[in-house]
Amino acid sequence: MKKNIALLLMSCFFAQGVMAHHSAAMFDFNKVIDVSGVVKEFQYTNPHSWLLVDVTNEDGTVTTWGFEAEGPSTLMRAGIRKSDLPAGTPISIRANPMKDGRTAGAWIDAVINGKMINPRNGFAVTPASR
Amino acid sequence: MKKFTLLLMMFSPAYQALSQEYVGWLPKDENWQDNKSQLQAFGEAFENSWSMYLFLLESADGGEMLSWQDMSAPAYDWSGIFTRTSGGLSFDPDISADETTAKLTEAGRAVRQQKIADMESTGGEYDPISDCRPPGHPRWATEPFLHEFVVTPDQTWLINEMVNDVRRVYTDGRAHTSVEDAYASANGDTIGFWTSGMLVMHTKYLIPGQYQRGTQPDYSGEVELVERWRKIDEITLEADFWVFDPIHLSQPWYTRQSWTELANDDNYLRIRYWDCGENQNNVILEKEDGTSQFLDFDFIEDDAAASSDEEIR
Repeated sequence: MKKNIALLLMSCFFAQGVMAHHSAAMFDFNKVIDVSGVVKEFQYTNPHSWLLVDVTNEDGTVTTWGFEAEGPSTLMRAGIRKSDLPAGTPISIRANPMKDGRTAGAWIDAVINGKMINPRNGFAVTPASR
Repeated sequence: MKKFTLLLMMFSPAYQALSQEYVGWLPKDENWQDNKSQLQAFGEAFENSWSMYLFLLESADGGEMLSWQDMSAPAYDWSGIFTRTSGGLSFDPDISADETTAKLTEAGRAVRQQKIADMESTGGEYDPISDCRPPGHPRWATEPFLHEFVVTPDQTWLINEMVNDVRRVYTDGRAHTSVEDAYASANGDTIGFWTSGMLVMHTKYLIPGQYQRGTQPDYSGEVELVERWRKIDEITLEADFWVFDPIHLSQPWYTRQSWTELANDDNYLRIRYWDCGENQNNVILEKEDGTSQFLDFDFIEDDAAASSDEEIR
């Protein structure tokens, strides 16, 4: 029981928006944005992955947004594989925006095909069963 | 263990034969706070890390030399994909990351207070590892990504997925590199020995760093460690860490570190290469106020495969 609590605490700690590889000083964790568009490219890279999303503006122009998450192994632990987000996939995504107003953010969670995915779940420790 | 090396170590000027009582492995159970206090006091009984290591070596009668036949025993089977069990960005996993159990010197306190003041004034910080340099040790223990641990008779490799980072522990009886020929590095120089399924190690020649970002303390270039690693069940490795740092610590800092083997039924979790140049969107700059910022984004297709902005253009 104690072990389970510890594992939960670790998951919660990172769920607060801490980037484990670099300071998250550039993001505004007091704000949450909600963006809808289609996946342009899922850059499944270390040390961080980037999900590029094309968003159609009211005037018909398209802006590409970028959403940062942890690298592939942490995404895999969250159940998010590269093949889950092919180009053209409609997506609604929540993020903490950049403080400087650029079209990017720290990815919180997203809905694709009616399914919620949360990259920050990747720091939860799911023990092996031997 | 090569007895000749052991004798040389025991008669070295740094070794002090203390009338110290050996403290063996203590479990992290309902008595943990008492056990932890006992382990902290054990470290405090030694003047430095080397005298503690030599005491442990003597207590183990020089340690055991392993063979490849030993490797099939559960105590030495450290295979699997692991991650840090708990602790987040706190060096002491028993407390939150904005606290510390380190007994700091005045200099250590001053450095930590300056970090706190800087963050309060700027609202952020810059982490030197943002450019993929290694975290260094003892910070190595706090990094949360995937790990693999490989035990062989002569060496044990402690692998961190992050920046392709490997700590090598030499257990073939060799001594540390001599002071005259040594140079400081992120993971330093580690030697060790086995005793009753436990790997005891000593690390020196490290470069200064921070235990973690945020309000965690810094360590100096004089930091040295004694560690005792063992497998406590089929999926958990635990380690006693005693950090000695005469510049920043008034007493050795004891913590119990832990790594849990992760479920990996589909074998998708693997240690893969880390390179900050792999995706130009990952370039982090240090701002003049000491905080962090991204370089200009391109957000064009395939820019993850490009090596620089110029190449893209």
